[in-house]
Amino acid sequence: MEAAQQASAEVGTRPPSPFAAPEVALPASQRLDKARFDWSSIPLLLPAVVLLAVLFLGPVVYSFYLGLTNLTLIGPTSHHFSFTGTANLSRLIHDPVFPKSLYLTAIFVVGSGVVGATVLGLVLALAMQRAVRAVSGVVGIIVMVAFMLPPVTVALVWYATSTGTLPALVGSPQSDFLQSLPLVVVSAADTWSLTGLAMLLFAAALRNIPREVIEYAELENANAVQRLSKVVIPLLRPTIITTVLLMTLLALANFTVVYIMTAGGPGSASMILPVYSYQQAFSFDNLAYGALIGNVTVVLAGIFSFLYARLVRARAREAGGIT
Amino acid sequence: MSIVRISADSTLSDGPNPALAPVQPRRVTGGKAISNVVLLVLGALFLMPLLWLIFASVDSHAGPTIELPRFTLDQFKAAVSGDNLRALLNSLLISTIATIVSTVAAIFAAYAFSRRHIPWRGPALLFILMLAGVPVPILIVPIYELFANYGFLALVPAAIFLGVTSLPFEIWIIKNFIDAVPTDLEEAARLEQANTLQVLLRVVLPVAMPGIAAAVIFGFINAWGNFLVPLILIVASSQQPAPVALFGFFANDVIRYGAMAAYSILYSVPVVILYLALGRFFRGGFVLGGAVRG
Repeated sequence: MEAAQQASAEVGTRPPSPFAAPEVALPASQRLDKARFDWSSIPLLLPAVVLLAVLFLGPVVYSFYLGLTNLTLIGPTSHHFSFTGTANLSRLIHDPVFPKSLYLTAIFVVGSGVVGATVLGLVLALAMQRAVRAVSGVVGIIVMVAFMLPPVTVALVWYATSTGTLPALVGSPQSDFLQSLPLVVVSAADTWSLTGLAMLLFAAALRNIPREVIEYAELENANAVQRLSKVVIPLLRPTIITTVLLMTLLALANFTVVYIMTAGGPGSASMILPVYSYQQAFSFDNLAYGALIGNVTVVLAGIFSFLYARLVRARAREAGGIT
Repeated sequence: MSIVRISADSTLSDGPNPALAPVQPRRVTGGKAISNVVLLVLGALFLMPLLWLIFASVDSHAGPTIELPRFTLDQFKAAVSGDNLRALLNSLLISTIATIVSTVAAIFAAYAFSRRHIPWRGPALLFILMLAGVPVPILIVPIYELFANYGFLALVPAAIFLGVTSLPFEIWIIKNFIDAVPTDLEEAARLEQANTLQVLLRVVLPVAMPGIAAAVIFGFINAWGNFLVPLILIVASSQQPAPVALFGFFANDVIRYGAMAAYSILYSVPVVILYLALGRFFRGGFVLGGAVRG
């Protein structure tokens, strides 16, 4: 900060004359023309590029190859596996658990990410703007702590809540919601842990709406509903799109909470794709088939990201057309 | 992004920054009452599982249901006994390695993407964002196969891999913050013959600190919370971090809720501390709008 202020003082008081003198003495390698590639960018980019290539991008590509092999965790094909073409794909198509898993994943992602966390986060952020300071402060802390808790802790507290406190609250202490409504419970747990992030994003976006805009709407006699639907929500649209994508991807990547709470069960009643992939790969020793199921989630994540990019680009074009 | 908007606002009006001013009480009291009620109801729902965690950790007869605790510290004593404390230290080690690896690489890459002319920069950044969206569980089979072949199924390689999983998003966080830093500061430093590393460390880094703090928090929490990666990629049980140790509590014949709750609290506290310690950078970042105007 200090350096920044010194530097800014430099900018502020810069007289035009000293520009010419030292500039001539600059070495030829120091180019001020930014339109050309600066070779010193390579060492800057190298660590990230190498790490991502070896431990991220490479494995993703490798995973698509492994999905089409007969690799297993143990046995002879754990070392000498070979390409088996579409054998795993046809197995996937005839696997009765796979379409069910796909369906459960869709419900889990939409229920906990898109509807649950995004809507609750928006409602909380809006309510916090107008509520008594003490109330919004305390509730904000509670929701943020829920978000900050690691997934294993989330799984533990929801395991206890769904088998203990919730049944006691509805008056049937013997019932076990993890047995009767497994997908609802794991979705609630995921919503609980994601809402804080959505709330944070919306609260920041709401702070950036200039108060004059709201006051102008008030002067025009817009009521609370109109102010919300005609002014605030349209201004929040970019944040809503971003939050929905983020929540979708986070819910799609959730393995820990569901695995610890139900391990996909009872039966396959909460067998979302990441858990099914793990079960096939590491419980049934079928690494290749597990990789293939995992690849399906990558394709889904890719589709969502692509749609998001389209939405953002369409928005940018829209905005460009107006101004 | 927020910084840009705020500084744009502040150039328009001479008075205090409107976006920073506390929200004034509204005249409509009906909306206010509804807001308070909504917050209180949702707050109570969000509090319930947390309250169970806190009560169970100090209750000598803790079960899955919320009850007023019969106070004891034995649960915490049980939580730090045996290998549990070592698991917490392993978690610290894993997260520290992961955060350093990812943040250092991300700062350099983010600076290059923000300030340098990079061919296909737009598609490259979009591609990095897509990587940030790749569900990490799918990487576990290929990485397991890779690490098993080279005998890398241990703490340090697993930690480096965890760092890489947060790298794409960290590049984006830091890049967005560097984008918002006016180039005037760097040009001034360049005039004083500062080289790229000096500009990056002395000028850009201090001003982009909120972004870096955000990236550090993200990287640390990402590694600290991950359960699947150490479970699969670390063979030695002495190197297993806290989440795997916590999962071990479930394997007992009788679930010891109290000890689990106490251990969960110990495991979760570092994340909260880190967040609070770095929180001031976020507030400091909003002052940035004034830095360039001098």
